[in-house]
Amino acid sequence: MSVQQRSHSRKSPPVIRGAAFYDLDGTLTDLNLLHAALFFVTNLAQWGGRLNYLLGLIGRLPRIAMAELRDRHLLNVTMFESFKGISRDRLELLGEEYCDRSLMPRLYPQAIEMIERNRQVGLEPVLVSGSPDFVVGPLARRLNIASFGANRLLYFRNLATGRLREPVMAGHEKTAWCADYAAERGIELSACWGYADSHYDLPFLTALGHPVAVNPDRRLEASARSRQWPIVRFSRAALNHNQDEEVPA
Amino acid sequence: MARPEAKLKELKPAELKRDIGARRDLVVTLNRRSESRLIAYGDDFLFEKLPAGTRVIYPPPPLDAIPDPDVAIRYALLHPENADPLFAQLNPNMRVTIAIDDISLPLPPMQRPDIRERLLNSVLQTLADYGVDDVHLIIATSLHRRMTEAEIRRMVGERAFRAFWPERLYNFDAENRAELAMLGKTDHGEEVWLSKRAAESDLVVYLNINLVPMDGGHKSVAVGLAPYQSLRYHHNAATLRDSHSYMDPTRSALHRVADRMGRVVNRNVNVFTLETAVNNRMYGGLLDFLHKNEDRFSDWDRTRLKGFKWTLRNLSDDLRRQVLHRYAAPYGMTGVWAGETEAVHKKALERVFQQYAVPVTGQADILIVGVPYISPYNVNSIMNPILVQCTGLGYLFNMYRNKPLLRAGGTMIICHPLRDEFHPEHHPSYIEFFHRCLAETTEGAVLEKNFEAEFARNPTYIHMYRYGHAYHGVHPFYMWYWGEPARQHVGRVIDAGCEDPAVAARLGWDAADSLDEAIAMATSDLGRSASITYLHLPPLVIADVE
Repeated sequence: MSVQQRSHSRKSPPVIRGAAFYDLDGTLTDLNLLHAALFFVTNLAQWGGRLNYLLGLIGRLPRIAMAELRDRHLLNVTMFESFKGISRDRLELLGEEYCDRSLMPRLYPQAIEMIERNRQVGLEPVLVSGSPDFVVGPLARRLNIASFGANRLLYFRNLATGRLREPVMAGHEKTAWCADYAAERGIELSACWGYADSHYDLPFLTALGHPVAVNPDRRLEASARSRQWPIVRFSRAALNHNQDEEVPA
Repeated sequence: MARPEAKLKELKPAELKRDIGARRDLVVTLNRRSESRLIAYGDDFLFEKLPAGTRVIYPPPPLDAIPDPDVAIRYALLHPENADPLFAQLNPNMRVTIAIDDISLPLPPMQRPDIRERLLNSVLQTLADYGVDDVHLIIATSLHRRMTEAEIRRMVGERAFRAFWPERLYNFDAENRAELAMLGKTDHGEEVWLSKRAAESDLVVYLNINLVPMDGGHKSVAVGLAPYQSLRYHHNAATLRDSHSYMDPTRSALHRVADRMGRVVNRNVNVFTLETAVNNRMYGGLLDFLHKNEDRFSDWDRTRLKGFKWTLRNLSDDLRRQVLHRYAAPYGMTGVWAGETEAVHKKALERVFQQYAVPVTGQADILIVGVPYISPYNVNSIMNPILVQCTGLGYLFNMYRNKPLLRAGGTMIICHPLRDEFHPEHHPSYIEFFHRCLAETTEGAVLEKNFEAEFARNPTYIHMYRYGHAYHGVHPFYMWYWGEPARQHVGRVIDAGCEDPAVAARLGWDAADSLDEAIAMATSDLGRSASITYLHLPPLVIADVE
């Protein structure tokens, strides 16, 4: 299980009364796994290597597009094949770089505010994403999030095999991961909040007591409306007067 | 005793308009030959025969509107109550904030030009004439939903919108802590918080519409521009339970607390209040038959009623709701006053009571009310079960002075289909409140103790309030507390025409398929001699119960 933990340095942590699970791509940021893959293959050490990987990724695009339409699990499997042969230390280095250069600037400010406010009311933030652990891990550290669930590549002699370790964080596996996480900590899923953007996250959202559709796609929005779930819109634009002056308590 | 209907024909409209005492004949007792009565029923109307002996209380006819409202506004600005005229308070270096009542008033929204547009244009012209350019316009939403751009444009008019939107015309944000200031405490220890922009202004001008007597006065600035930190002192179960009634500010604990807090505001901020009163012309044109006594319906009225009901019946739910919410009322302004808050409000209240008050003798054992499609909190939205409760037990029960229309322990029959239906973007916290909190208890004080703080601080609801168009997370609690006095007073509540009995049960009510069944249920408890009163709405009426 891809759970990373480290101690908080907060002075007086609030009483934990539940968890808030956040999907990443499309929820906290408008980037997705394809952006990450493009960043990685275009930032490899050798120009020749970059070209090979880029062509490999382009060649996979039709399969990726088909997989996106059919099944999120299949999409992850197909996408992660792009990383085959890249060394673990290189991926981790690029993960840090991707996080600083692309991911952090593209996070929705309102999403960060939501994470902080939830933390203040005792909802421990947890990232659950289909993105790789070498991307989600650095992001979690920067957001001071102790726990995350992410996809993990299988390595052989320190080189990525392009295959994923179980569980693959998509659909029901994501739900099972959240249930295991809550059970380990003695948290009721009914006291947990979940934030996601895609209809592929419906099993994950329905398992939680407080599902929230964030910038939902058409199918998730329809489901959210029929189930009377809250629908929130994150954007980078400040909508309210003096919104940028807000100081969370 | 049945009363001859012919008596109504002898009434002179002029007398009805001027003299509240002359309105006794607006209280009609039905006999066996009486016509069926129109009763609001959500997105529809019932046309039901009521038992002989039922007392029906009709709203007074509309007062005459001021023929030239703009002249009246200018006069009010030049001749204020207990204050210098607006122009005499101005200098070019000053900072002015204009706060404006939000979309919750009037109901339904009025035809353009909205009274607020007229007020705003006059005030802005005066400010411009005296070189005041540091002016902000704040929609005093408090914990209500943010108004949309289109709604604001419609309300303030094109001129103000083009000049001020969006930098200097915006919704109040009660969760933007950087934009709030604490002014002090009342002698009861209540913290008075206010919009920082208003608190730091040299002059705050408040533009108000009084639809009912509970509006206006210190409720305008001290509530409209205040956050949860202030509202919790008067919007709570104990205070609202001690209000008899909301429509009688002299006997309302809610108003007493709001007045205390408002006086602190006025000690710290120079407030110049503009209050207006509107008449009872809620429905005009093809729908004016809704104001009439059904016994005096002409053939043309009956034809229109049939056509209206046929149309409503054949529209889809969404379309019917949209059609109804697009209706704009032809309200006329009956008065405008400017100056010091309390002096102005006193004058406005007199006019409001002059419009609505009807003398009524004695209480009833059974009170029938119809809950319409609209309330202050679902304009362009869905009337959910919590709002039905608020409208029925909160507002309609409280349409009295002196004593409630219903005797203690009596039965209240509320006509509404009562569906488990919510607007997820306007009322997200209502959904959790209904399904989670009310499943545990319907006791206002217990709900307040166990859940209110959690909802008030809920980050998702705060986000939806600040960036979306959701009512604040704590708002459903306030809606529930509005029903507190009625819950203490009423013996039984029956929802007539209830489509989903589980919803009624969740509210602590009984369900009846039809009004006849509801009356039978009520009389089986209270006896066949139980007196029945039907409060005929729309438009509005306030019973002066003797």
